[in-house]
Amino acid sequence: MSSIDRRMTRLAPALAAIGALTLTLAGAPAGAQEQAAVTQQAEDTAIGVCGTCHGPEGNSINPMFPRLAGQHAGYLVRQLKSFKEQTRGDPYAIAYMWGMASGLSDDTIDALAQYYAAQKTGPGRSHDPATIARGRDIFEHGIPAQGVPACAACHGPDALGSDAYPRLAGQHAEYILKQLGSFQSNMRKIAVMHGVAQNLRTPEMQAVADYLESLP
Amino acid sequence: MLGGTAPAWAVPSFARQTGMACAACHTVFPELTHFGRVFKANGYVLDNLQQVQAVSSTRQEMLELAKTPALSIMAQVSYTQLKTRLPDVSNPDAPGLTQNGTAGFPQQLSLFYAGKIAPHFGAFAQLTYANDSGTIAIDNTDLRFANMIILPRKQSLIYGISLNNNPSVQDLWNSTPAFGFPYAASNANVSPLASTEIDGTLAQDVGGLSAYAFWNESLYLEAGVYRSAKQGQTNVLTGAAGPLDGSASNVIEGGAPYWRAAYEYDWGANNLEAGIYGAEFKLQPGGGTPLQGPDNRFNDVAEDFQYQYVGEEHIFSVEGTRIHEKMTLDASVGGGTNATDDLTTDRLWATYYYRRQLGGTVGWFSTTGSTDTGLYPATVTLPSGSVCACGVVTSANGSPDTRGLIGEVNYLPWLNVKLSLQYTHYTKFNGGSTNYDGFGRNASDNDTLYLVLWFAY
Repeated sequence: MSSIDRRMTRLAPALAAIGALTLTLAGAPAGAQEQAAVTQQAEDTAIGVCGTCHGPEGNSINPMFPRLAGQHAGYLVRQLKSFKEQTRGDPYAIAYMWGMASGLSDDTIDALAQYYAAQKTGPGRSHDPATIARGRDIFEHGIPAQGVPACAACHGPDALGSDAYPRLAGQHAEYILKQLGSFQSNMRKIAVMHGVAQNLRTPEMQAVADYLESLP
Repeated sequence: MLGGTAPAWAVPSFARQTGMACAACHTVFPELTHFGRVFKANGYVLDNLQQVQAVSSTRQEMLELAKTPALSIMAQVSYTQLKTRLPDVSNPDAPGLTQNGTAGFPQQLSLFYAGKIAPHFGAFAQLTYANDSGTIAIDNTDLRFANMIILPRKQSLIYGISLNNNPSVQDLWNSTPAFGFPYAASNANVSPLASTEIDGTLAQDVGGLSAYAFWNESLYLEAGVYRSAKQGQTNVLTGAAGPLDGSASNVIEGGAPYWRAAYEYDWGANNLEAGIYGAEFKLQPGGGTPLQGPDNRFNDVAEDFQYQYVGEEHIFSVEGTRIHEKMTLDASVGGGTNATDDLTTDRLWATYYYRRQLGGTVGWFSTTGSTDTGLYPATVTLPSGSVCACGVVTSANGSPDTRGLIGEVNYLPWLNVKLSLQYTHYTKFNGGSTNYDGFGRNASDNDTLYLVLWFAY
């Protein structure tokens, strides 16, 4: 259990008491009160702890750390669990997130994921129009001659993703490139993405990454 | 002061406690990243370890103790070579030359407790064996109570109290004296005569309490007060650890105020900090005279800045500080010592690393000030009490001016093991470039080659 998580646990008895009292006095469900407090605590943690790298609302300014605002909760939960279980093996996951996620409970993971999913995404960042056009073409149609499928097939036409596939719109280009590199080297092991990344050349990766970063 | 400053550290027990690699908090130790600064401001308490806990019957928390203690060991093994050998004055009847080339095995060895003690309460505490003194003594120590609240506009406010023994050891940036460059320095070199009080002169000789606030991880404000807390000093009458009497020297009268303001702006993988800090010390010279009557006042005001680019492949940083000191020497005036003096120290350095493995630093330093033949004398009194006509640590013209460059190349096979080769070149030393001591020694004769293996685990 981490210091982040202990803070949540510490609240539990008090929250239960508040919940019971509120139920008696106002007839409100105790569980809802408790949940609201846990959500509040997750928000404080996201802003005060995770926010140091990922930005208080998940819109990180440092391209080394991914933007989490508007990311799908299901995807975030899977990532946090893969850090905790030490199954996601890209260098920054190992150096930063294995430690940070090691003591998180499932409830905390859920609450953090919900917090980020609910945050507003920022505007896209402009890049060279020709590169963006090339990136968009690869994203929407793939590169059939190289056996690269369309990214949009899984990540959606506007790269908004789903619970199963991450939102990529607005993500730092540098972060996307780093992940594609990790898929290619299999440090981050996802069979489908390994296949895709293996067939992509660096300028193609860069074009896709620039296109994705340009999206709102 | 250039030589003899206590080096600064990174501590593996922090990595054990957080589960995060050194790279989260450091570019290359001991320089802190933004995350490292926030970790420090929060009192070194972020942890991901299993805890031993206790609660009262009213569910009040009584204990939260990590199952692994936050202990670390650090060692420096070094070799120092001066450009020109020093005179051997150990036997006045048989003058000669010293051996050149000093092996420090170890130069120093430290034990740390660095990490959480209780919720909101953490420590960076160091106990050091140093080969020059042959003793074990308390080294840089910073105990912190800290808390964080989230303000309505989703901005964090970290606030806390630091109890420490070296003005600026509690600071978050590497541009201030305690954790500034050179991060490691030889203890077998020749140090210039002059340094400002805030620049390590009182390190480990004081106890200070300061309150700070860090708003939105950008604006930092701190105010505190220091009092003499001399180690190894006893009251002559009682033999007890105090109160300090006239046998102690440079004792702070009352409390010395310390203050600090800094602002950090972060963009992309860059950050830029600019700040000011200072202190005012009223010191009783003591050393055989009672701790009363006129005092010597040292008013230190300093500016500092730090720029960092922290990429995955490339890391680049530039830091600098300028410390101005105004001295009013009511207690020491006369016999060559002026009533008032000025002293200014400037330091500027730039560091580059490739993949946190191979890199180096180039630094420039300068100290200039009033000529004062009392403070910067032409003769030296040896521990035996005899006045030595040997120079080296003297100034022929009473000027403190010292200037030079430091270049350093570092290789880190692992993030916690550093091999450094450092060269310090003086263009001016204690007021002169040539024959600065009146005994024929040139500033560049004190040039120092320093090889150090520095590791912590």
